[in-house]
Amino acid sequence: MTRPSEPAHSVRRRLLLLLLAPLMLLLGTGVFVDYVTGARPIHDAYDRALREDALAVAAHLRDEDGNGRIDADLPPQAVAVLRADSTDSIYYAVRAADGTLVSGDADLPARPLRGANPTFDDVEYRGHAIRLATYATRVGAAEVTVAVAETTRKRTLATTRILTSIVLTDLAQLVGTLVLVWVGVRYGVRPLRALGEQIAARSARDLAPLDEAPVPTEIRPLVRVLNELFDTVRAAARSQQQFLASAAHQLRTPLAGIIAQLELLARDPAAGAARERLLALHDGTRRLAHTANQLLALARAEPTATTHEDFHETELATLVAEVVSQNLDRSLAAGIDLGAETEPVRVIGSAWLLRELLANLVDNALAYTPRDGSVTVRCGRCGRGAFVEVEDDGPGIAPEQRERVRERFYRVPESPGNGCGLGLAIVDDIARAHAATFTLGDGARARGTRARVEFQRAV
Amino acid sequence: MRILVVEDDALVADAIRRGLTRAGYAVDHVGSAERAGGALESESFDLAIIDIGLPGVDGLVLLQRMRRAGSALPVLILTARDALADRVSALDLGADDYLVKPFELPELVARCRALIRRSRSATSANLTIGGLHLELGAHRVEADGVPINLTRREWAVLECLALNVGRVVAKEKLVQAIANWDEDIGANAIEVYVSRLRTKLGGAAPIRTVRGLGYRLDDAAV
Repeated sequence: MTRPSEPAHSVRRRLLLLLLAPLMLLLGTGVFVDYVTGARPIHDAYDRALREDALAVAAHLRDEDGNGRIDADLPPQAVAVLRADSTDSIYYAVRAADGTLVSGDADLPARPLRGANPTFDDVEYRGHAIRLATYATRVGAAEVTVAVAETTRKRTLATTRILTSIVLTDLAQLVGTLVLVWVGVRYGVRPLRALGEQIAARSARDLAPLDEAPVPTEIRPLVRVLNELFDTVRAAARSQQQFLASAAHQLRTPLAGIIAQLELLARDPAAGAARERLLALHDGTRRLAHTANQLLALARAEPTATTHEDFHETELATLVAEVVSQNLDRSLAAGIDLGAETEPVRVIGSAWLLRELLANLVDNALAYTPRDGSVTVRCGRCGRGAFVEVEDDGPGIAPEQRERVRERFYRVPESPGNGCGLGLAIVDDIARAHAATFTLGDGARARGTRARVEFQRAV
Repeated sequence: MRILVVEDDALVADAIRRGLTRAGYAVDHVGSAERAGGALESESFDLAIIDIGLPGVDGLVLLQRMRRAGSALPVLILTARDALADRVSALDLGADDYLVKPFELPELVARCRALIRRSRSATSANLTIGGLHLELGAHRVEADGVPINLTRREWAVLECLALNVGRVVAKEKLVQAIANWDEDIGANAIEVYVSRLRTKLGGAAPIRTVRGLGYRLDDAAV
């Protein structure tokens, strides 16, 4: 059996879609929180280093002569150490209280102190974002402001690194969760799939209850309802069979009496002038009986009237031999050569229905084949399947009629015989009940009719 | 020849009684299995025709009781039902033949004749089919009163066909019937024997070829 394509309402797909949005939200929040908590200490650490630099610069300031004029006693080595950084550029400016530059970069922006000392600011300088520490201190009697700044390349690099690692780990978690759900659901719905396969593997007529034991508790109500449904269908089939058996009895018994009595009456020497009418009555009643039989057969072929218990291994060659033997006298009387070509082959089927199928095909062939014609019934294997066919060399059925003749009560216009038009409908129904295909084609040498029923599988 | 008819439908029973009487049989009719039991105990019959759908005890139960009591009386079962189960159980329970209503009277008479003849052939040494007279023990056969010389294999084929008169006998079965003398006999050889038999017997009892299945010896009198 081919596995059906993933249905639109797959449990897995639903579950994944339902989980995806909340998981994405969680991912976003997680990344944000992790970033903030991870980036802050780094930022603080770089700020502390900047503050140390500011304090270091301040330590070199002297008010030598005590007149409030500051000497920036910054030896070139100290400035070199201060500015030494592989990644960032360091700037500094020492300004007196009146804002005059004592030492350093004159164009470094000045910022006022705001509470904390030093105060940190993010400003733009020479086209780059810089972090600026402004530190106020007193040197002797003079108030000075030391500003130290660095470009933010180090900080950006560090935070980017942190962000990348956070996003990667969180993404990995998300993907891991989704994979777990995908695999987990697949594992979780395995009993459901097994149940589905169990049902699919059964024949459509198998109405035996499903085993509840291996089914998970969540699915048990479904199995229980299915089993109840099977019970109902089985009971309906049984009661329909009983009804048909009673109907058959009630119809056939009086018909048997009437037909036999009419025959006796017609043969009675006392019948005299009434003989013709009695024979006509006899013939009409036989036709009525035939129609009643056909209707009963049609009803019996209904899918609802048969259950799994009616289907067994059935030898087609035996059925062919039976049906041919039964029709031998009729074929002798009609001057038709009736024969068989059989190969032993078994199918799963209802022997009664298959006998009815063959009987109807042979009946049709004998009815429409002229004297000195021939009718051959065959059965055998074809590939992995089996077939039965009835071939005659009669007038045949016109291609445009081949579909219509399967309809109930349809008769080919102006056709001989006095059938009721149910024979091929019965064959069609019975073939379908066996998942077999019924085709009508030309006989050998494009003459007559070949009615063929092919079963998918031989036993 | 005496036949017991167990049938509750008056119209059917009357027709069977008339039809069989005209064919030369003595017929007793009862309408229930209970009364059939009584008749079978007190009288002796050559055949019983039993309807399955009897009121009260049904025909299959009656058949079962008869077989359990050791009766070998040939039984023809009549039924208005056609379910496979009925057919199988009837034959399993020891019915000799089976006929579905509505039936044709000549068919019923022919089946009765065949059943009675077959049961006689089991107990008697002689068999008459149309113009054919067989002495089974002596392997002697007469066609229209003229003794016919048959080889042992021809006799075996004829005997097998005669014991199954009116029925199609598969070629394989005929092969088995003569396999006692010849181990490696082919189905084709059967055609030779049948052809010789036809020549020797003439029209006394026609042997029909059933294409693809076998042969059937017909009773020319039917």
